[in-house]
Amino acid sequence: MTKQEQVKAIFIEEAGEIIEKLDIDIIRFEENCSDFNLLNEIFRGVHTLKGNTNAFGFTRLGEFVHHFEDVLDHYRSTQESIEEYNLELFVGSVDVIKEVMNCELDAIATLPQSYDGCLEKIKNLISIKKNKPSSSQELQESATELKDLALEFGLSCLEQQQNSIERSIKDAQAKQSEGLNVYKIDLTLDTDCYKRGFDYLLFLNMLAQKALLLESFFNMEGIVEIDSFKSGENYIGKVSVVVLTSLSRSEADEFFEFLFDYEYEINLIEPPVVEVMEAVVKPSVEVAKVAADSSASNSMSSKSTIRIDTFKLDELFDSVGELVIAQNFIAQNDKIRSIDDESINRTIETLSKITKRIQDRVMSLRMVAIKDTFDKMKRVVRDTSKKTLKEVNLIVQGEDTEIDKTMIDSLSDPLIHIIRNAIDHGLEADAAERIRVGKNTNGSVTLKAFHKSGNIVISVSDDGRGINKERVLAKAIERGVISGDENLSDSQIFALIMQPGFSTAESISDLSGRGVGLDVVKTSIEKLRGKIEIDSKEGEGTTFSMVLPLTLAIIDGMLVRTAGEIYIIPTLSVVESFRPEKEIVHVFKEKGEFVSLRGQYIPVMRLSDVFNLNAKRIEPWEGILVCVETEGGRIAILVDELVGRQQVVIKTLGKTLAMLKEISGGAILGNGDIALILNVDELRPLVEVSHV
Amino acid sequence: MEFNGDILTIDMSISMEEVAEFEEFVRPRIDYIETIEVEEEGALRSSALMSLLVSLKRTKPELKIPFLEKGVLVSQKYGTIHWICHD
Repeated sequence: MTKQEQVKAIFIEEAGEIIEKLDIDIIRFEENCSDFNLLNEIFRGVHTLKGNTNAFGFTRLGEFVHHFEDVLDHYRSTQESIEEYNLELFVGSVDVIKEVMNCELDAIATLPQSYDGCLEKIKNLISIKKNKPSSSQELQESATELKDLALEFGLSCLEQQQNSIERSIKDAQAKQSEGLNVYKIDLTLDTDCYKRGFDYLLFLNMLAQKALLLESFFNMEGIVEIDSFKSGENYIGKVSVVVLTSLSRSEADEFFEFLFDYEYEINLIEPPVVEVMEAVVKPSVEVAKVAADSSASNSMSSKSTIRIDTFKLDELFDSVGELVIAQNFIAQNDKIRSIDDESINRTIETLSKITKRIQDRVMSLRMVAIKDTFDKMKRVVRDTSKKTLKEVNLIVQGEDTEIDKTMIDSLSDPLIHIIRNAIDHGLEADAAERIRVGKNTNGSVTLKAFHKSGNIVISVSDDGRGINKERVLAKAIERGVISGDENLSDSQIFALIMQPGFSTAESISDLSGRGVGLDVVKTSIEKLRGKIEIDSKEGEGTTFSMVLPLTLAIIDGMLVRTAGEIYIIPTLSVVESFRPEKEIVHVFKEKGEFVSLRGQYIPVMRLSDVFNLNAKRIEPWEGILVCVETEGGRIAILVDELVGRQQVVIKTLGKTLAMLKEISGGAILGNGDIALILNVDELRPLVEVSHV
Repeated sequence: MEFNGDILTIDMSISMEEVAEFEEFVRPRIDYIETIEVEEEGALRSSALMSLLVSLKRTKPELKIPFLEKGVLVSQKYGTIHWICHD
């Protein structure tokens, strides 16, 4: 890779991160559009992106980002409240940025369809904001001033208004640019217009949505005194509207198609003849301001980060592992321990502490909180909610749960699928249906991450209709997925919906319902050596739980020894450990050994049996029983002794050992020994028994 | 709508039906009202309100209606609206 290619690769990575952050921040800003600190943050991201894109010749993206930055700059500097429809424009702009970035990277000549439209809207918005009078106070003062002048020169009200209209036309012409038209529209609605459902304001509102500038002048001359006044009748004889818009004449006509011809008149005002003037170049205060802001942003970014290749991190992991082994060798070496020198012992102790600290810190380097992934899902919920016209509340829990970065990267797509599925099919069709079944009008989707039995579980729950088991079964039989003779448990029935090509959706939407989404999700999670569990109650909702192994994650493990080998049991699964009395251990014919604990018979598992270890058979009361919680209920693992508790990093095993489902991974211990981590959910008694 | 002493306060965003109610209320009491304040929160919903205010002002020129006297309203929804009372 040449130096230039390296720099470009860094830019692409950085730009991707900026865009990803923009995507999250814009949704956060939509939720709280008075947070101008966040707006500043968004502005800084866009500003950096602009500089980078132009440096690498991505001019199309550069132009778009440049105008978007202008709009953001206006709002952040004026702290003007942002209109709802403009917030929508912001969110759409981030989408365009994402799409155009992909076009630039893949050197695709055709830009996304939304590019031109969105860019035009942004340009229009800038034009409006830069040309708008600063406040209604200013306008009011101007109106009063004109009124005073009119009185001074003895002008009639009509003449005053005519002058104001002419001034407005001149203002609009001054702001006119290519593709924009100035119209003067005269509306003369009948007295019965209110009864026909028309009001001048209705037309002003419609025009305002397509206008860059809109001024209207209400002629109040015909308004009668209160004795003759009837509020159901219109007394405003005429309203003159001056509008600067990109609308064509025929498009403008369409706004008034329901009025009588005599009730409106549209006049296109020709652009004025432009006098050639020498432009006065003002010193660019803005540039200085942006530069100052930029430097401020640098000083504000309190988190100082550097990029490290993950390969280097892996190397560091291994080196630290070796350091720990060496340190333990020193600490446990009999020759060294026999040296009767206090300073040497103290130094070894200090070395041990420092090594432990380094180990902990290095272990945490690859771990990242799942927060960023969850933040991205807010956008997914927002967009799906808008598309499906369903109001959805998103509840996020456990976003600080740490997970290996490589796993996080593979989680986004499955999560998006499941969330879309939950909103599109899980939640009731509309608020009316929810009210009928006694629920709140807003649906709720809960996104949760937590540790369970040594795994990380990421669940998506909805409070919707739940899965109709009969319908799923019927569909599965119809599609030939099952024969119908099987006696399936609830979870097995729910699992059928993840079969390829299976879909119970009555109509296929562009969000889900093609029957491929959940199949893809299942495959993706299985690639991570995880699994998906579905739990559903009809009428109450559905929970999809992605249970992921802690590959490369830090795990808190209980070290146990049996037949001279050390095994690690994830501490999260451990309920208790004890040496049983002989009286509470029972053997049932053809069912194996059980320990009776507080009225419950718990099957005893011998690791020597599971792994075919050639070891002297001890009685349960001679060893220790470690009681663990598994998916199939509690089991008691018989071990020779408890060694201790330690945080370890799971290492993936080779292909051969990976086939042993009772083992979820391996770990290098402090003394350099390798220990296997037990997958307690896969430890089954030799004979399946139902727990008493 | 709130009547406090001589000051009557109304919302700018009242509907057509509420304008009719306001008209009914104010018609017999116009002699006692000195000021009509218009709360400018929300958007104007009916031009009939403007007409009614102008009508009241025309009937009783000493009536103070600060909203009307401004002669201008800047609105996100409707752009900038100007009027002259012809008083």
